[in-house]
Amino acid sequence: MTLPLDTILVTVILTCFLIMGTTRLLTAIRISAIQGICIGLLPVAASGAHTSIRVALLGLVIIVLKGFAFPRLLKRAIRESSTSTEMMPFVGSTASIVTGILALIVAFWIDSRMEFLPGSHSLVAPVAFFTIITGLFMIVARKLAITQVVGYLILENGIYVFGLAIALEVPIIVELGVLLDMFVAVFVMGIAIFRINREFNHMDSDQLRNLKG
Amino acid sequence: MHKGWILPLLLFLPTLLAGIGMLARTPRMAVRLLTWGTLASAGASVAAALLALNQAGELKAMGAWLMVDALSAYHLLVMAVVFSLSGLYSRSYFEPDLIDGSLSLGTARRFAALWFASMAAMNLVLVSNNLGLMWVGIEATTLVTAFLICIHATPTSLEAMWKYLLMCSVGVALAFMGTLLLAAATHGSGIEGADALLWTELRDSAARLNPKLVKIAFLFLVVGYGTKAGLAPMHNWLPDAHSQAPAPVSAIFSGFLLNAALYCILRTLPLVEALPGQAGWGREILVAFGLISILVAAVFIIAQHDVKRLLAYSSVEHLGIIALGVGLGGLGYVAALFHIFNNSVSKSVGFFCAGSIGKLAGTHDMRKINRVMALSKVWGGGLTGSLLAIIGAAPFALFLSEFLILHTAIQQGHWFIAGAFLFGLALVFIGALRHLISISWEPHVEPVTPHRATLLEGAIVFVPLATLLMLGVSVPAPFWHLLEKAARILGGAS
Repeated sequence: MTLPLDTILVTVILTCFLIMGTTRLLTAIRISAIQGICIGLLPVAASGAHTSIRVALLGLVIIVLKGFAFPRLLKRAIRESSTSTEMMPFVGSTASIVTGILALIVAFWIDSRMEFLPGSHSLVAPVAFFTIITGLFMIVARKLAITQVVGYLILENGIYVFGLAIALEVPIIVELGVLLDMFVAVFVMGIAIFRINREFNHMDSDQLRNLKG
Repeated sequence: MHKGWILPLLLFLPTLLAGIGMLARTPRMAVRLLTWGTLASAGASVAAALLALNQAGELKAMGAWLMVDALSAYHLLVMAVVFSLSGLYSRSYFEPDLIDGSLSLGTARRFAALWFASMAAMNLVLVSNNLGLMWVGIEATTLVTAFLICIHATPTSLEAMWKYLLMCSVGVALAFMGTLLLAAATHGSGIEGADALLWTELRDSAARLNPKLVKIAFLFLVVGYGTKAGLAPMHNWLPDAHSQAPAPVSAIFSGFLLNAALYCILRTLPLVEALPGQAGWGREILVAFGLISILVAAVFIIAQHDVKRLLAYSSVEHLGIIALGVGLGGLGYVAALFHIFNNSVSKSVGFFCAGSIGKLAGTHDMRKINRVMALSKVWGGGLTGSLLAIIGAAPFALFLSEFLILHTAIQQGHWFIAGAFLFGLALVFIGALRHLISISWEPHVEPVTPHRATLLEGAIVFVPLATLLMLGVSVPAPFWHLLEKAARILGGAS
């Protein structure tokens, strides 16, 4: 247990709650950027004084992408599609926070059942599960297409933390390939939102329901 | 010279072609490049497959990160057939747009570039021995094919693209979780850190992996990659994307994109099968998903009016049949692999014909289309033929592979599975035959001047259908040996 590591993990939990609670789109994107920076710092904090160049470099790439590049792409998508800045949730913010608390309990429960998991730190795995659940929740419980992208980013953050939790040495090429895919995903989703907005004059994915059967 | 050089070529050649596609100076040039480049790249895939099949063991390259064995060689061959046919077809599909100038240079360039990029991504899935890299390939196919769906931007095609993009990205993210869990299962099995994702390493020490983690990993992988493969109940994106995409794209979606995702599940099956005392556990899951897919698809096929959506649901059904066959094991492995080829070929032809008939008739609604053979002998006849093949009419090869799967189920004494399978097939047969009769043989109200097809168009429709007929009568020995060789890998043999 190290102090910086725990601080970062708690910050990740807090950012998840803030994202669930906010009703402002720009706030959600800013918080996801903070979470992205935390995710980038996590492996560095975990290895402490033994940080290798590989870990440091990867952390830097993650911070640049998740902390700055992705939020910028999302903000541009909002600006160009001149959408409203309200989230229009299916589930209101109080109910969302309550869901979040339940999700946190579930995350710790899953962790307690997975004692056979090779883990290095007791808090990392539950935080990973909690972040994954938050991401999935944001995808299904929010109407706007762009919040679904934010949810997708949070889901990916959770899976990355999970990779750290099981202390896995993922080869750097694979790691970079995954990040490249994510970058392209956000980029493509941004263009998609722009085009959807141009055709429909809104980005409300709830109204995307002409195709049935 | 070492033969492994061809594997990186499979990645570089389509990437290079994608770059060239962006530089095309006229729309016609881009479409021409699409046809010839696809044939060249497919040729490279065939060469790689043959090299791998003609040597003992696997063909490896780049420090065992890239690998082709009989299973991936077979998939490379199927992919080469589907892409070659689609490449040739796209020529005639875009011809009217080229003549009236409605295909802009930007669109044509983008289409060609994304097309080749998707080929590169699918090649990456098939040749990578590293399961992480395989995941990167699958996710890349989602991203590059998303814009192929809405090359003609309409509200419905954008809706289809968004669904596809989001559902598949989230699904495939779960598959990455599965990949991580699989790698975590190697703790204490003697595999060195960075090798934990190499499939050949995992297979060689499968008996020493942590069984609980491998099983959880397999669940994540089946749900994750199953979303992309269109297995029910994760199939919701599929009918939309397949019906909204231009016909050549629908063909590669149904003909190979789904199989590429299923291939990833097939790769991990032998690892689960090799766990001590767990033989059959992973296969039971595939049987369940297979049966659900067949039955769900059957219900939707009965109620369907759009011909492209009908074909899309039929893909859900056939992927289900493949999963079922693999799940039964034994002869089922061979039959399922045989069915992969049959489904890919018949579905590609089906989408070509449905696309062209749709263009001629101005609608995909089967209630408004009739006497397709009066509209066009080639496309109408092809649509009738391919629909007959798809529903499993007797002399076609699909009948044979479905019969073999049924035979396996009965031989193993799984009467319930056999019954449910037969019930699903019967529903599809009746449901689709009703539509088929109405579009093919009902009297035509207004006389039309039949569309005259070129020799090439006739060839890409009738040569594949004739091949399926021949395979249904007798399977050549070398082809059967290839299927058996690939099936042995599914069964866990090295």
